Amino acid sequence: MLGTQIKDVILKPDAPSSLLLDKHADYIAAYGSKKDDYEYTLSEYLRMSGIYWGLTVMDLMGQLDRMNLQEIIDFIKACQHDCGGFSASIGHDPHLLYTLSAVQILCLYDSLHAIDVDKVVEYVKGLQQEDGSFAGDKWGEIDTRFSFCAVATLALLGKMEMINVDRAVEFVLSCMNFDGGFGCRPGSESHAGQIYCCTGFLSLTGQLHQLNADLLGWWLCERQLPSGGLNGRPEKLPDVCYSWWVLASLKIIGRIHWIDKSRLRQFILACQDEETGGFADRPGDMVDPFHTLFGVAGLSLLGEEQVKAVNPVLCMPEDVLQRIGLQPDLLS
Amino acid sequence: MHGRVKVKTTAQQEEEKRKEREKKLKIYVAARDACFSKRKEGVCDDEALQLTQQLLSSNPDFATLWNYRREILMHLETVKDPDEMQKIYEAELSFLEACLKVNPKSYGSWHHRGWVSARLPRPDWARELSLCDRCLSLDDRNFHCWDYRRMVVKVSGVPVDQELEFSDRLIGSNFSNYSSWHYRSTLLPVLHPQTRQEPPHASSPRGPQSHRVCEEQLLKEYELVQNAFFTDPNDQSAWFYYRWLLGRAEREETISCVYVSREDERVAVAFSRPINARCVGLLLVLDGQPLRVEWRSVHPRFRHSPVLICDLPPGTINDVTNEHNLTVHWTGNHTHRDCALYTGRVESWCRDTATDQELFRSELSVEKTSVLQSELQSVKQLQELEPLNKWCLLTIILLMRALDPLGYEKETLAHFQTLKEVDSMRSEYYSDLCCKFMIENTILKMEYAEVRVFSITDRNLTSLCHLDQLLLVTHINLSSNRLQRLPPQFAMLQCLEVLEADNNFLENLEGVYHLPRLQEVSLKNNKISTLTDLQPLASCPELKRLDLRGNPVTQAASVESDLAELLPSVTDLLL
Ligand SMILES: [Zn+2]
Repeated sequence: MLGTQIKDVILKPDAPSSLLLDKHADYIAAYGSKKDDYEYTLSEYLRMSGIYWGLTVMDLMGQLDRMNLQEIIDFIKACQHDCGGFSASIGHDPHLLYTLSAVQILCLYDSLHAIDVDKVVEYVKGLQQEDGSFAGDKWGEIDTRFSFCAVATLALLGKMEMINVDRAVEFVLSCMNFDGGFGCRPGSESHAGQIYCCTGFLSLTGQLHQLNADLLGWWLCERQLPSGGLNGRPEKLPDVCYSWWVLASLKIIGRIHWIDKSRLRQFILACQDEETGGFADRPGDMVDPFHTLFGVAGLSLLGEEQVKAVNPVLCMPEDVLQRIGLQPDLLS
Repeated sequence: MHGRVKVKTTAQQEEEKRKEREKKLKIYVAARDACFSKRKEGVCDDEALQLTQQLLSSNPDFATLWNYRREILMHLETVKDPDEMQKIYEAELSFLEACLKVNPKSYGSWHHRGWVSARLPRPDWARELSLCDRCLSLDDRNFHCWDYRRMVVKVSGVPVDQELEFSDRLIGSNFSNYSSWHYRSTLLPVLHPQTRQEPPHASSPRGPQSHRVCEEQLLKEYELVQNAFFTDPNDQSAWFYYRWLLGRAEREETISCVYVSREDERVAVAFSRPINARCVGLLLVLDGQPLRVEWRSVHPRFRHSPVLICDLPPGTINDVTNEHNLTVHWTGNHTHRDCALYTGRVESWCRDTATDQELFRSELSVEKTSVLQSELQSVKQLQELEPLNKWCLLTIILLMRALDPLGYEKETLAHFQTLKEVDSMRSEYYSDLCCKFMIENTILKMEYAEVRVFSITDRNLTSLCHLDQLLLVTHINLSSNRLQRLPPQFAMLQCLEVLEADNNFLENLEGVYHLPRLQEVSLKNNKISTLTDLQPLASCPELKRLDLRGNPVTQAASVESDLAELLPSVTDLLL
C-alpha cells in the first residue's frame, strides 16, 4: 500500500511563540508610507481592500489612531463613482469587492455620512441577477463571494430589504456540495474561502438552519494539519488566511471547538516575522497586510486577550458592530 | 501574496534590486498612466491593446485593464467584419493562453477568456476543452480551470457520460484527487438518478446532496472507492466521497407530530425540518372550522424551529365532555396531520415515531442490509491491516449505525475511544458525534419501551441534540454528564414535568423557558452562580420544587428571599 505524504510544514523550534503586537503595528503604520515602491504600486488594483486590512488589524490592536483618517476618507470619497460603487483606487473601475471594503472602512471610522449611501445601495441592487446571484461589476462575473459582498454591504448600511433576499439565498444554496461546503458557482468545488462567504451570507440573511452543519463542520475541522495550521481544501498546504476562513466558518456554525485551538495558535504565531513585523502565509515567507489581519483576527477568535474581539462574519471589531447595532446570527 | 519565500540578501544585492525595481516602476507607471489617459479620451486603438497587454502580462489581476480591453474589442465589433473579428478574438485567446501559462489562477484571465469565447463569431469549444485538459494535467486541482471546464461543457453540450469518463481517467491516474471526486458527485445524480419516491413537489432547490444516485450505479461506485482506499487508506478524498455515497436521502418534509393540551388550550407541532413561524403557511382546522391562531417558535432566540406552538382562543376545547378533531395543514407542502381529542382526555397527540421512520439509522441510506453488511465486511478487512486508521474507524461506526444502532452500541463506543486517541486534534468532534449517537439510541430505547421518560445518565454527554424528538417527554434525567448549558432548543420539551440534571457543569439554563407543565427541577452540584442564571425558570408557571444544593449561588447572602421573589410559585426549595 502507498502511504500519502501529508502536505504540511514543520514549525521550527525557534519560531516566534508570543504575539509581537508592537512590531505588527509598526509594520502596518509604515506600509502605507512607501507609496513609490514597485510592489506597492503593483497592488493598486486592490488598494481599497488593502486599506481595510490594515485599518482593521490596527483597530483590533487598539492602534487605529495612528492612521491618517482625513487622508483615507478623502481617498474613499474620490473612489466613489457616479453609479454608486467604489473602485480599488483612483482611475480604476468600481466593483463589489471594493464597495464592501470602502463601507467597512467607513464603519470603522463611524463616517458613513461622508458618502452617498443611497447610491451605494442602488449600485448593489443593480448587480443582482434574475437567478438571485450577484455579478461583481457590470462585466458579469458571478461568484458567491459577490453574494457575500452584497449582503454584507447592505447589512452594514441597514438596507438589506432593498434586494431580493429569498432569491439570493436560493442561489447560494444551489452552490452547496456533497461535502456540505460551497464553491464559487453551482457545481464548483468546496473551498474554505467560499465557505466563509456562504456561511457569512447565510448568517446575515438569517438562514443558517439551511446548512448541514455537522457535515460541513467535519470537512472544516479536517482542514487542520499536524502543524496546527489549516488548509483551504484537502491536500493543500496550511496558510494563515485559510486558518481564518475555516476558523470563522466554524465559529459561525457553532463548532469552533472541533479543532485543536492551541496547536492552531502555535502555527499562527510561527508565521510572524520577528524582524519586520507582520504575518506571512506560512513560516518563513514574506509578510503582507492581508495575512497580518487574518493572523491577528484568527488569534482573536481563539480568545487572545491582547486584541479586541473580532466578529467572525464581517471580520471587524465587535465594538464597531455594536455601535452600528448589527449582530449577525451564529449557530449555538 | 502566497508562497513567496523570504530570502536573506546582502546590502549590495539589496541596492541592485532596489535600482532594478525603480526602473521597472518607471516603465510600469508610464504604461499605466498612458492607458488611463487614453481610456479617459475614449481612444480604442491598437496602441491601447498593446499597452494593456504589456501590463496584464505581468499583472493579470489588474481588472480595470481587462475592462478597457473589452471596451476596445466591443468597439472593434462595430467597425470590423466577422472574419476580421474572428482573427482579433483568436489573437486575444492566444494572449490569454500565455497569461494563463504564467498565472493559471488569475480570476481576471479566466473570466476574460469566458467572455471572449462567448463573443467569438465561430466559437471553437473543442479547443477550449483541450485547453482545460492541458491545464488540468499540470494542476488537477486548479478550481478556476475546473469551473471554466464546467462552463464550456454546459455551453457546448458535452454529454454528461463523457465527462464522467473524464473523471474516471483522472481518478484512475491519481486516486488522491478531491476535485475529480467532487465532479463525480455532481455528475452521477444527473446521469443515474434515483428513480423512486421523490415527492412531486420536491420543494426548495438544494445542493446535489438532495439528489441521490440509483442503486445499481451506487454498487459500482462503492467498488471504485474501495479500490481507492485499499490503495491508499490515508487518502481523505475517497473517504469523503464514500461518506456521501452512503448518505441517506433527505427526509420528506412532513409534520411529524401534533400535540394538543386541553388544559393549556395549546397546540404544539413538530416538523421534519426547522421552519419559520412567520413565513410558513400553516392552517389549523378545529372540528371542520379554520381557526385563526398565532404560531410562534418555542424560544425567541431562534426564528426557525422544528417545533411551533400556538394558543387556542380561550374556551375552545376546555370542556372535558366534548370531543374535538384537529387538523394541521402545512399548505406549502400539501401535507397535513389529524389529531383527535376524545371525551375525558386532557391531552392527545398523533405522530410518527423515530422507530417508524428509522430516523437515526445514522445519516445512512435505506439500502438493502446485505449491501451495507458487505461494505462493513470490506472496511473491517482494511481495518485489520490498518487498525489505527481513523477514516476506517469512523466509517465502521457509520456503517454499524446504519445496520443496527443498538446492537452495535458497545463496539461503537469502543471505536470512538480509539478515534479520540489516534486523532486527538479532533477529539471534540468525535465526542459530539458520539453524544449524538447515544441520544439517538436513548430515543430509540424510549420508544421501543413506549414511555415518555428520557434518561441518559453518566455518559460524559457534552451537548444535546434532537430535542425536537422529545416533544412528548414528561420526565428527563440528564444527571452525571458534562453539560454546561440547557440550550434554547430545550424549550421544545413542551410536556416536561420533571427535570433532573444533577452533577453537571450547568451554568446556563436558557432553554428552561415557558415550559407550561414543569413542576420539579433538580440541579444539584452544578455551576449556577447568580440569580440571573436562574431567571429563565421564572417563566415556568407551575414550578413547585427546586433543588439547588451544591451550587455557588446558594452561598449568596440573601439568596432565599431573592429566590422567593424571583420564583413565587416554588414551595419546596432546597439550598
Ligand atoms: Zn493565504
